[in-house]
Amino acid sequence: MIERFPYGKAPFWLTIIAIVSAVLVAYTQGQRARSRPDLVFATFASNHIEAYKEAIPSFEREHGVSVSLQLVNSRALQTRLQNAMLAGTDVPDLVEMGPSDMQFFTGGPLEDIGFLDLTERLKREGWLKRLVRSRLSLLTFQKHIFGVPHDVHPVALMYRADLVEKLGIDVNELDTWDEFVRVGRKITRDLDGDGVRDRYMIDLPTSAPWGVEIMMLQQGISLFDEDGNINFNQPKTVDTILWYIEQTQSEHRIAFECGWGTSLAKAMTDGLALFYIAPDWRTGTTQQEIQNLKGKLKLMPLPAWEPGGRRTSTWGGSAVVIPKQNHNTELSWKLAKHLYFDPEALGRRFLDTNIIPPLKDAWDLPAFKKPNPFFSGQAIGELFAKLAPEVPEDWATPYRQDTANKIGDVFLRGGAYFKARGKKGLREYVARELDDAEAYIQHKMDRNVLAKR
Amino acid sequence: MSDRAPSVEKPNKGRSVEPRLAPYLFIAPYLVITAVFMVYPLINAAILTLYQTNGPASRVFIGVDNFTHLATDPMFHTALWNTTVFAAASVLLQLPLSMTLALLLNSGKSRAKAFFRLILFSPNLVGQIFVGVLFMVMFTPRYGMINRFFHTLIGWGLEEKWLQDPALVMPAIVLTAMWVWVGFNMIYFLAALQSVDKNLEEAARIDGANRFQVFWHVTLPSMRHVVIFVVVTSIIGSYQLFELPLTLFPESQGKGPDNSALTVINYLYEVGFNKGDLGLGSAVGWIVAIIIFCLSLFNIKLSGAAKE
Repeated sequence: MIERFPYGKAPFWLTIIAIVSAVLVAYTQGQRARSRPDLVFATFASNHIEAYKEAIPSFEREHGVSVSLQLVNSRALQTRLQNAMLAGTDVPDLVEMGPSDMQFFTGGPLEDIGFLDLTERLKREGWLKRLVRSRLSLLTFQKHIFGVPHDVHPVALMYRADLVEKLGIDVNELDTWDEFVRVGRKITRDLDGDGVRDRYMIDLPTSAPWGVEIMMLQQGISLFDEDGNINFNQPKTVDTILWYIEQTQSEHRIAFECGWGTSLAKAMTDGLALFYIAPDWRTGTTQQEIQNLKGKLKLMPLPAWEPGGRRTSTWGGSAVVIPKQNHNTELSWKLAKHLYFDPEALGRRFLDTNIIPPLKDAWDLPAFKKPNPFFSGQAIGELFAKLAPEVPEDWATPYRQDTANKIGDVFLRGGAYFKARGKKGLREYVARELDDAEAYIQHKMDRNVLAKR
Repeated sequence: MSDRAPSVEKPNKGRSVEPRLAPYLFIAPYLVITAVFMVYPLINAAILTLYQTNGPASRVFIGVDNFTHLATDPMFHTALWNTTVFAAASVLLQLPLSMTLALLLNSGKSRAKAFFRLILFSPNLVGQIFVGVLFMVMFTPRYGMINRFFHTLIGWGLEEKWLQDPALVMPAIVLTAMWVWVGFNMIYFLAALQSVDKNLEEAARIDGANRFQVFWHVTLPSMRHVVIFVVVTSIIGSYQLFELPLTLFPESQGKGPDNSALTVINYLYEVGFNKGDLGLGSAVGWIVAIIIFCLSLFNIKLSGAAKE
């Protein structure tokens, strides 16, 4: 046969390999399509996966179906989902992602959003009353709710209780930021006389905008309002940025950026900073990753901006969405409720992760009142549950990241101005930069022809 | 060939077409692949520059608005400036250093030469993602190796924020890239140096030329083609810088503080893939391609290599 092939031996074998490969690919694709489970649930959150693994078998038994749970890197999940949805290819039936990821799916017209609109379901089944309302804002675009929040993520302060008590600081008196700064200036010191400070009051980021954003949200300044209009350019934002520059860059600074991972662990262990911004999820990761601090940490609410003001903010989050291209909408919705609204499972999950769910009924469970030995026996669930209803609203917008970055830029430029020229003219400079930032974002919004269609 | 002999001796109508078709059949896979994966995307990318898109799902014709937007977008200008600064640093700092190391190794003993060649080349084996992660740790304020090194050496830099201070970001990227690429380019220069005619250098020395004159008037012109190749590939590589900033600045997705690490490819990725505006992304892609083409052409013309 090879001899009779007119183009020689090599082309013959190449042709055979091509045919065999094509048949194999077609066969494996067919097999894969046939063996697809009834539901596919993809999540980016590695700290949720164990809890889901526990909860899914009972759902499978109850409904006689198979569910595949997939852990996908957050960045990959967002880009692959976005492209798969837009290209109309196969997607998971449920996806857990960060609510801020909503910005990647809301850039075009409303009908282009590839997720099921859950507004009516949530209303009809009474969930809207049972959930922390402000958390739905992150998933609400043009008054339509496209996801169910997994968490509330109230922000508290985590502190080295052993060192703070040794220094004679009474955290109950640190009820306003003014008082916090006053005490901070006293204890921020160069301890060994080498000209470098060895102890700071607080860890605040200067290279990423989340620190400023947390402070703004605490004062009720969301980046955008419910109708999608720019909301960040306010005199209070200028005040916040000036305050932040003062605490991180002035001669009287009380803050140091301790970073992430190993450098954060080293800073916390050394006591380089005494207080750390801590949403519930960060207390969980600290507990898992820096075990040598067991019994040395405690939590307190954020100091307020004015006496009696809000004692918390919010940072991060995750939510489940159901792509329109799912294979079984009703079953997907049932799985979402099974994973997110089963109080017993939420109690167990809290003990694993320290994350407070948005389902208010769950907060009365014993799990949320249990003392946590890592946090010096404090019942941190009670503290977070107390702060959760105060968590501020933060509306979904396709311009979220751009806007947060712009605010970060204003802070950095303000800092550079302050270093070069001091306080004189700083307020006007920051206000001008904020105006420019607003004009830039507004131009982007005006340019988005598709969103206006 | 022997099995085709009968058709030559005894031609028939059906088989006489075959030899004429055969070459086309053989090159058909290449042509099809080139057409599908290169020509079509290029044409489609050119057409896309005239549209605003939300991924591949929705698009609207906007004429040349993508280009006018880029002409006025300060973020794109920052990206272009950062990339150009990095490209200049690559050519003006990295390549002379590579050449110096190549000259040193070329004059060394063969055993030491092989050892140092391996040492200097080895950063290139680990990949930019790993290098980015490594340097992110080394640049950590207070605890990072580079901060501690400077503090011990000159009493400066313990709390210096290499990756947080916009003024220090580009030096940090250049330093990191140098660590990766200096050894790689050195290998090219070393290979070129070893092929330079020793008789010419010897003749120049006999004529009274000093070491610098020998290098400048004999060695360098002899390795001109390699130098041009390395400069052109360095410029192209610099304009394609993407992974290193992305790994060094994961929180800002490679942009760095106040966009100080933003490169044109990162900007393209941001608008095209994160924001889903493939039209604007295509416009950026075409602008980058034209810049690289012009710079390469200018460089080749300048060095006179085109005449040859």
